[in-house]
Amino acid sequence: MAKKILIVDDDASIRDYLTTLFEDNGYAARSAGSGADALKMLEQDAPDLITLDIEMPEMTGPWFSRTVAKGGTYDRIPVIVITGHAGLQYVIPKAVASLTKPFDQAELLRIVRETIGQ
Amino acid sequence: MSDTLLLVDDEEGIRKFLGLLLRDMGYSVETAANGDEALSLIQAARPDIVLTDIKMPGMDGIELLRRIKAISPEIEVVMISGHGDMELAIQSLQLEAADFVTKPVNDEILAAALRRVSEKLAMKRQIRSYTENLEEMVREKSARVLELERELAATQVVDAVCRGMHSLGSESFPDGVLNNLPCLMAVHNRDLEVVTCNQLYLERVGDKVGRSSLEAYQAGPGADNPVRRTFETGRGQRGQAIFRDPAGNPLPMEVFTSPVSYREGQVELVLEMALDMSELTRLREELRVAQEKYQDLFEQTPCYIAVRDRDYRIVANNRRFAQDFGEGAGRFCYEAFKHRSAPCPDCSSIQTFEDGVSHPHETVVATRAGRKLHVLSWSAPIRDAKGQVVEVMEMSTDITQIRQLQDHLTSLGLMLGSMSHGVKGMLTALEGGVYRLESGLKRQDLGRIGDAAESVKQLTGRIKTLVLNVLYYAKSRALCQEEADVAEFCTQVAQVVQPKAERDKIVFSLDLGPDLGRFTADLANLSAALVNILENAIDACVADHAKPEHAISFAVRADNGAVQLHISDNGMGMDQETREKALTLFFSSKGLRGTGLGLFIAHDVVAKHGGSMSLESEPGQGTRFFIQLPRTLPAS
Repeated sequence: MAKKILIVDDDASIRDYLTTLFEDNGYAARSAGSGADALKMLEQDAPDLITLDIEMPEMTGPWFSRTVAKGGTYDRIPVIVITGHAGLQYVIPKAVASLTKPFDQAELLRIVRETIGQ
Repeated sequence: MSDTLLLVDDEEGIRKFLGLLLRDMGYSVETAANGDEALSLIQAARPDIVLTDIKMPGMDGIELLRRIKAISPEIEVVMISGHGDMELAIQSLQLEAADFVTKPVNDEILAAALRRVSEKLAMKRQIRSYTENLEEMVREKSARVLELERELAATQVVDAVCRGMHSLGSESFPDGVLNNLPCLMAVHNRDLEVVTCNQLYLERVGDKVGRSSLEAYQAGPGADNPVRRTFETGRGQRGQAIFRDPAGNPLPMEVFTSPVSYREGQVELVLEMALDMSELTRLREELRVAQEKYQDLFEQTPCYIAVRDRDYRIVANNRRFAQDFGEGAGRFCYEAFKHRSAPCPDCSSIQTFEDGVSHPHETVVATRAGRKLHVLSWSAPIRDAKGQVVEVMEMSTDITQIRQLQDHLTSLGLMLGSMSHGVKGMLTALEGGVYRLESGLKRQDLGRIGDAAESVKQLTGRIKTLVLNVLYYAKSRALCQEEADVAEFCTQVAQVVQPKAERDKIVFSLDLGPDLGRFTADLANLSAALVNILENAIDACVADHAKPEHAISFAVRADNGAVQLHISDNGMGMDQETREKALTLFFSSKGLRGTGLGLFIAHDVVAKHGGSMSLESEPGQGTRFFIQLPRTLPAS
């Protein structure tokens, strides 16, 4: 059974990109364009990993993360931050890793593999 | 030399007898019968000796003796006293009688007495004569001593003056005062000889000490000469004269003389000062050149210069200042420079008045024409002879352009900074598109290939727009002027945008009004600006999920002076904050696909054309842009 990854980013092109990338590498990927959509998807079907953008309208990455953490249920899901702002890498203390856009594909896949396996 | 004798006796017989006797002795004799007669005769012809009987009726001999001694004490008086009148005789001796003889008169005794008196008289005469001689000698000698003393004093004065001049002129004196004055000095004595002179005199005229005062003068000894005239008139002279240098060349001088006297009415020395006219002329010329240089500097400096006094009044200004702020003289500095009616609170000149130090100060001023300039001013103190700051000179440089450039660079930096996130996002997406393209090709998945290609195309389009916008903003922008038909131009713009709108299922309509005519504009930049706005409208529609259908309209109207463009959409609209930021650098509505720079640049282009741009919007409803452009570009 393929591992599930939830992609959270407001840029559609990036969502397409990551979805294709993860699917090509044997993961099942879904994407959400906002923090709100992401929360809904979490409830429907909990993923094994979340990739998270920081700057999003209405609900930023950190806000989403705090909301998830408060709920408690999804606290354990590992998060990889992927953001364009170099300085914002560390705003999610519990993130497994922080990558800046444009990111190194091989690096991202390696971290995903190390976190949730193949 | 026979002594004269007066015989006084009341008896005629005695007078006759003694008279004969005395004449025989060699005396010249006068007689008197009583005291009164005797006194008259004494007044008339002073006898040397008086021989008088003591006992006489009326005035007696004693009384007569007293009287004679009172009026002529030098007359010797011999008394004839009777036998037994010893007391009277002694009394008469006490009263300064010379001698007495007793009656009957013995002619040998009388002769002896008279002889003694004569000898006494002779001695007295001798003493008197010696005394007079002595007094005469002393007078003569004293006069001579005085004469010598005066001469000595004169010599000492001359010596002192010489020493004084020498020390003033010599190097040992701190500044060599006398030598540094452009002034020749000499001292002349009454014999019209030069006694001493200063260094400059030596250099210019030669060593004339001990020589005629007139040698220094070109005109020669016979001519009128200020030195001689001073001796003659006793008054100082002033005028022009021509000296001669050792080679005989003329030296025009301004001459001042001053008499020096230490004996009343007598001028002993003359102090002569000559000012070298050529030196004066040279100094004047130097001064004139310096003044001209200063004036040049004042006028040519590419700064505004205004000099003001403590009462804020401008006392001088240069031409540049006058050009932009008007002639300053008499006006208040705060009125001329800033159109204020009261002093500026942060005035740096006031500080300079207080501490005498230059202070820099940046401020905004207004020209006569009302143009605002950014200036950097320096206030420099101007001091009087006592070192007090009496005026302050303000030099101001126009840094408006520098500030503008600085602002531009700052905002460029800001813009690049704010854009970086969006740029990175685009680059990531582009990488993603390429990846999907490759992976699609690998899998022979045409659907994926098509999607990816489309994605890449759009992204490159967005990147292109971004790069061009940045370049536009970064470079210096002079507008090209081209003339075009308004309807044609707007149609071309619509044609660029139409396919994009259709792809996103947005109804796009172009609405051209009647009689649009022609206009002049930078067509490339203006068309890019309009495309930017239109694409923004497309993005707004795409981002709006609330409405099922979207439409954008591009309407164009014109009147005589201007062209009006309306672009409206029913996309997601903007809330107040977004609306306020929409035309600034900081507009970045991340839901849209743009980077936010487009609207800012569009606004900038419109402004450069002399036009105006505004917008209205309601969140969830849509946005409307209004652009007004003049038919011709404004004069730059």
